[in-house]
Amino acid sequence: MALSAGSIPMRWPAGPLEIARRKNTKGFSADTAEVLRNWLDPASLAVVQGTPVNCLVISWAAGLPEDAEQQQALKPLIEKGKQAGLDFVGLIEGDANRTAAIAAAQSAGLSAVALEGEPPEKAGIPVIPRNGHAHMQWTANSPIVGVSDGKWPGIPQEMMPAGGPTNLPWVDSNGAFIQIARALEPDKSVWIEFEAPQAPQPAEAYMLAVADPASYGARWVISLDDALRADLTAKKQPAVDTWNKVTGMTAFIEQHKPARTYQPAGALAVVSNFAGPDWFPGEETVNLLPRLREPFRVIARSRAEGASFAGLQAIFYVDQEPPGTQLREKLIAFAKAGGTLFVPSKWPNPEGPPVQAEPYLLFSLRALGKGRLAVCKEDHPNTYDTVADIQNIISHRNDLLRLYNASSMNFFYQTSAQGRQGVLHLLNYSRRPASDGPLFYVKEPYKSAHLVSPELASPVELQWTPQEAGGAELALPKISVYGAIELGS
Amino acid sequence: MNRDLTRRDVLLGAGALLALPALPAWSIASAPPSGRVAVAKCKTYGPELLPAMETMFDQLGGLDKLVKGKTVAIKINLIGVRSQRLGTALMEDTFWTNPRVIGAVVHLMGNAGASRIRVVEGPWSTPETLEEVMLSMNWKPQDILSAAKNVEFENTNYLGRGKKYSRFMVPGGGLIYPGYDLNHSYEDCDVFVSLAKMKEHAATGVTLSMKNVYGATPITIYGEGAGVDEPSIRPHGGRGGVFHFARRMPSKSAPQQIDLSLPKDAGYRIPRITAELCSARPIHLAIIDGVKTATGAETNYGSPNRPQAAINPGVLIAGTNCVATDAVAMAVMGFDPMAIRGTAPFVNSDSTAQLGEGLGIGLRDLSKNEIAGAPIAEVVFSYSAVRDKILAASKKA
Repeated sequence: MALSAGSIPMRWPAGPLEIARRKNTKGFSADTAEVLRNWLDPASLAVVQGTPVNCLVISWAAGLPEDAEQQQALKPLIEKGKQAGLDFVGLIEGDANRTAAIAAAQSAGLSAVALEGEPPEKAGIPVIPRNGHAHMQWTANSPIVGVSDGKWPGIPQEMMPAGGPTNLPWVDSNGAFIQIARALEPDKSVWIEFEAPQAPQPAEAYMLAVADPASYGARWVISLDDALRADLTAKKQPAVDTWNKVTGMTAFIEQHKPARTYQPAGALAVVSNFAGPDWFPGEETVNLLPRLREPFRVIARSRAEGASFAGLQAIFYVDQEPPGTQLREKLIAFAKAGGTLFVPSKWPNPEGPPVQAEPYLLFSLRALGKGRLAVCKEDHPNTYDTVADIQNIISHRNDLLRLYNASSMNFFYQTSAQGRQGVLHLLNYSRRPASDGPLFYVKEPYKSAHLVSPELASPVELQWTPQEAGGAELALPKISVYGAIELGS
Repeated sequence: MNRDLTRRDVLLGAGALLALPALPAWSIASAPPSGRVAVAKCKTYGPELLPAMETMFDQLGGLDKLVKGKTVAIKINLIGVRSQRLGTALMEDTFWTNPRVIGAVVHLMGNAGASRIRVVEGPWSTPETLEEVMLSMNWKPQDILSAAKNVEFENTNYLGRGKKYSRFMVPGGGLIYPGYDLNHSYEDCDVFVSLAKMKEHAATGVTLSMKNVYGATPITIYGEGAGVDEPSIRPHGGRGGVFHFARRMPSKSAPQQIDLSLPKDAGYRIPRITAELCSARPIHLAIIDGVKTATGAETNYGSPNRPQAAINPGVLIAGTNCVATDAVAMAVMGFDPMAIRGTAPFVNSDSTAQLGEGLGIGLRDLSKNEIAGAPIAEVVFSYSAVRDKILAASKKA
């Protein structure tokens, strides 16, 4: 077997190495150890039989005395799994001897190993670079990149709004990171890891954990909490039901492949190298724009010269370092043709005469041909204020989409290459339906709109309600976790 | 009422439990003025709207006498989170002043000779221009801007086009704050109009022409993210932290709370702050849009006992006195204008109108005001009846 974009990974914690690593951690018990031993048993693979999961991620080496025992103990599981068509990826962590561990993995027939830092040039088997989001090895020669510090998606309890329902709650999502990853390395698959909180989680929390990365084109390395794994092994409810919902959501997203072939769409583009000092403002911009309901696309600075700016009304060039001559000329040409170009304070020799603007704005405006150049007044502006002002300057007159009655939701808009089809992914981070169903305003309605969701028995045809001032609205049924509106013309 | 209340009694709400006296000893000396209020049936925002408003203004003595050659500020109501609608109902048909009503008022003011009309509001936690806020809800702001000559918008959440904030002191010293710092638009006008929606409110029972003025306060001073010493440049957060619950104080540059031991209960604070504002920045003309609106308040705090529903009372109310106008509106909503804390709609709050009466702004007693137009009995639309019906239906379900 070989890993591919179709590989669906699941963390498979089992064996003496897992026990050794976890035995001194909080909450570890004899029951936990038993489950970790049970999942070494090839019979435990029945859990993934008949599900979309086709790749198990196992602990392989951590630089501990148990490494050799672990690799030996895993042999029956690996053998049975491979017979069933499963791939195995071995995690090499800590102070493990990487060369030896890789050789052992190759010998054991693993499909790949995943390790931190820069992968070795010659390994004999595929190596997946697996790092924290701030230390990604984008240029590594691997079709899959792993990020080890994803976020369990949802609304953090401590961030619940205190002042009543008059502000949108904070949501934890992996969307920003994944959009950036796909802009930087569009041909690579992104595997994102995050652990379930050890407190028992409802099925909807796991469904969201699958849907959040998948909507943006990445894969969650499915990871179940100890109690759920124990109950699942014992075939207890509600664990079996929760697992069925996890695999059901995974299968549903697999059936709706357009999500991975369509491109993000919006009137705004965010251009950055997303590295070094530009990581935070870039990532935070991409993180906050969905909360302002501003559809956008991300363009890696290294690819901006060759990127199409068609359909854009505005570009936010994030980086403190000015662009090279060619990119600058391209950005200025975009503005002169009628777009608005937002740039940081260090933009050298801003072009065009100043024009009047609201005094509170973080940007001073300059006329540039048919468009505008907006130069930030501050060296380190508040990112929320920055994106709010960008949206304000672009003007709601040009809103492509608006979402109502969905304060705990984010949406992600993608279109086909010609723009004739689109999909609107809707993610509900509260994991429970609001009192009213979501309502979408669409400036340029498509001919058809269908809501698909694993929560629905069949697709629901949505009706367009034309609006007096233009555009049309779509009223949706209530959604607990995830739905997608498939738009066609 | 046979007990003399001290100022502190009133401040601490004892008066509310006993029913506030019409004229507390510390209040202004003269008796509150009576008002003239006009009521009109108006089922839609269609062609019947403009003549209905015109008739009302005539019944009030003619708009020209009020606005000719004057600068007018019209405080509209665009409060609440824009993204939260009541089902599929439009914001302007539930919680916001309808743009057609705004346009009609602006048009009639222009026809009556107003020299400049500034439409003002402090929408929730945003520095965006009002035009942008309207565009975000798919309105056509140009329709309002072109309804008369010299019409402009100003977001009063911050300093705006002014060079400094304007200070308004509360006659008699105030109940919670001695005065307020507001955007210049509230000073730079000869005529101040409150153009409100006929709504209930989670913390104050009802929100009408008086409560509408609460939203005039700048977030840069009274918002959760206001500057500590000086106003912030940008507005951040809502007014809840300062006004509703006194979790923090306004920027030190503004008049500070009279007594820090006052209750931190929204039902106590908001009615007093509102009454103070209406006393400090008097309303010359109160107009209430009750054509289409909602029961249950825009901020429902998730209360299942206060279900929201879009409704169509089909009524407009206008008056020269905000207390009298709100009293008429309460009667139209099926409430007793003389109700006190503990009685619907003031289950958890004091009556803003009652406090306004205490501050000498106007009179709640309908018999002491002049009411023209449609008889109240013909336009009563019981909000409680709608609520009871929904609750009964949900119980059945």
